[in-house]
Amino acid sequence: MLALSITNGLVIGIIYALTALGVSLVVGIMNVINFAHGEFYILAGYFSFLFAHTLGLDPMVAMVLSVGAVFVFGVVVEYTLIRPTYGDELYSLILTFILSIVLQSAYLLIFGPYPNKPPNWVKGATDLFGLFMYGNQRLAALFAGIAVIALFFAMLKLTWFGRMIRAASQDREMAELNGINTRRLNMLSFGLGCALAAAAGVILSPVFPVTPTAGVPVALTAFVCVVLGGMGSMWGCVVGGLILGLVENLGAAYVSTGYKHVFMFVILILVLLVRPSGLFGRSET
Amino acid sequence: MKKRWVFAVLMAAVVGIALGSVPVQAADTVKIGVVGPRTGGAAATGKAFEEGIQLATTYVNANGGVLGKDLEVVFEDTAGAPDKAASGFERLVTRDGVAMVLGESHSSAALAEIEVANRLKVPFVVVEAWADPITAKNYRYVFRAGPSNSGVVNDTIAKWVVHEGFKKAYIVAENTDWGLGIAELSKAALKSAGVPYESLVTERKSQDHYTELAKIKAFDPDVVLAFVYGTGLHYFVAQAGEIGLTPKAVVLDGAGPPSLWPDFWTNVGDYGNLECFVSSMHEKVELTPLATAFREAYVEAFGHAPTDYKSRSIYDAILIAADAINRAGTTDAEKVVDALESTELLVTRGTARFGTEKGGPEYHHWMPPMLVIQWQDKEQVVLYPPEAATGKLKR
Repeated sequence: MLALSITNGLVIGIIYALTALGVSLVVGIMNVINFAHGEFYILAGYFSFLFAHTLGLDPMVAMVLSVGAVFVFGVVVEYTLIRPTYGDELYSLILTFILSIVLQSAYLLIFGPYPNKPPNWVKGATDLFGLFMYGNQRLAALFAGIAVIALFFAMLKLTWFGRMIRAASQDREMAELNGINTRRLNMLSFGLGCALAAAAGVILSPVFPVTPTAGVPVALTAFVCVVLGGMGSMWGCVVGGLILGLVENLGAAYVSTGYKHVFMFVILILVLLVRPSGLFGRSET
Repeated sequence: MKKRWVFAVLMAAVVGIALGSVPVQAADTVKIGVVGPRTGGAAATGKAFEEGIQLATTYVNANGGVLGKDLEVVFEDTAGAPDKAASGFERLVTRDGVAMVLGESHSSAALAEIEVANRLKVPFVVVEAWADPITAKNYRYVFRAGPSNSGVVNDTIAKWVVHEGFKKAYIVAENTDWGLGIAELSKAALKSAGVPYESLVTERKSQDHYTELAKIKAFDPDVVLAFVYGTGLHYFVAQAGEIGLTPKAVVLDGAGPPSLWPDFWTNVGDYGNLECFVSSMHEKVELTPLATAFREAYVEAFGHAPTDYKSRSIYDAILIAADAINRAGTTDAEKVVDALESTELLVTRGTARFGTEKGGPEYHHWMPPMLVIQWQDKEQVVLYPPEAATGKLKR
């Protein structure tokens, strides 16, 4: 039971982390809390389903196209809806909240109430260490999630775009004085944040099929990860996601399966009591 | 200025969506209300209700209507949430002036609605909310034309477990009024039948059931009674196959419709084979001529055979409501309740007849017959009751 709980906790935790990175990126650079983050995750799942099932594309091609399409949609949303709200955090909060309701209703209208599942990349299950059987698609999701997170951090560390992101998140005015076009950076960062949600969506939708409202708990967990790890801290997101995944699974295994998601909030409260700015957040002085 | 423009566009979209659920007022009609989830995790039930409403309204109006007028149905979304359910019910009565209200498929929502029905003195026929307290409260205005937890467990599930000779059972229940209630009744029934069991509770919105399934596998049951509704059931069945619990153990979907949803096989793959579920509908087991007529009308209207049996449940309820109002000769609530109490109407699932003896959940309750069905190579095989069986359990 312990080995299964840890393995499952890591898989779920990596996916939580991947979803939360997009939220953290947008919060860190733009100071915008995107309430519709979960709906971008779901949109990618729907795209992946449509491209693979309806158009008959290879699942991998469908995934890449889906992430690209959500990135473009994210850029359009930033340009048309988010840009006019800069400087008014409450306004962007309300706007993205309304956007999430509109998108949920649109999904229900277009795709119907039933869950949609893109095809599995791999079938069956593997006997891990002779201890338990584990779904191959979940293992594939674990490795894909790690790969995307590694690519994201490599981009942050090794590319000019990554440097611009880090500079703007540390000191926006100074970044502007050094010639960074922060408007364009905002647009691309919002698109990238949506693309990260989309990456999580296409990786996980073969395991957990998407429904119109399934994005709500996704976004909620992502926000908890971000707050737990520290607002704006990318590494905090990863650590926060892993902690949540492990705590949920160990709590379900050894305390109660009926309160799996309650453990998440218990941990959040405990951490915030000790470190109000989260595990890796910078305290404001 | 641009901010206001953007805000106005989004608000217009939200209002547009909200107004989409408001019916066009028709002149000179008798209105009845339907409550059910058109949004949220169980929106599929709303779709099934919409289909049943369409067919029932056509049928009633083609057969003389209600009190000489056309029947008009107003459908209010509850999203499966008790607060929305209570306010939606009240809106149907105060805004739309409906003569009575039917529907619901979430016990938690129905438990909120019966309080409003009792306070406003409006007849309410619950269709697919199974928790016993809904009718056990013995409210004068509350009826149930559909399964109850105790009816499903004592008449069907427990007897089926004994009939198949299962040696060990595991009960998994979501943490809702329906799930917890039916799990307690199942425990009592298995205990009196002498079948050893274990049980656990899972979260209603949980997607990942690996930990629960590992606990179940360790107990090594030969049947798992899964009281998990919606997409959660699909996750449960697929993950049970992945960790190797099935096919050694048989999983029974204790609700039914999710095993019949059109995407069931896409979501569960081969792990769906040999899964069992309870249902009040099977294309080869049609208890009345009206069941055949319903199926034919459904195929004509929607181009495929009915899947979710809740479309037929709401269909029956609308026929019962129309019959009661016609026999009462008025929409006066007291007279409609009296008429409902003397209902004797052949519908798709048999003859509807409400219990009138107070003291338990049987009061104002008509329990339609339920079947246990198994998927065998994507074919539905009826296992229980024996007189309706079309095949035997495969393991």
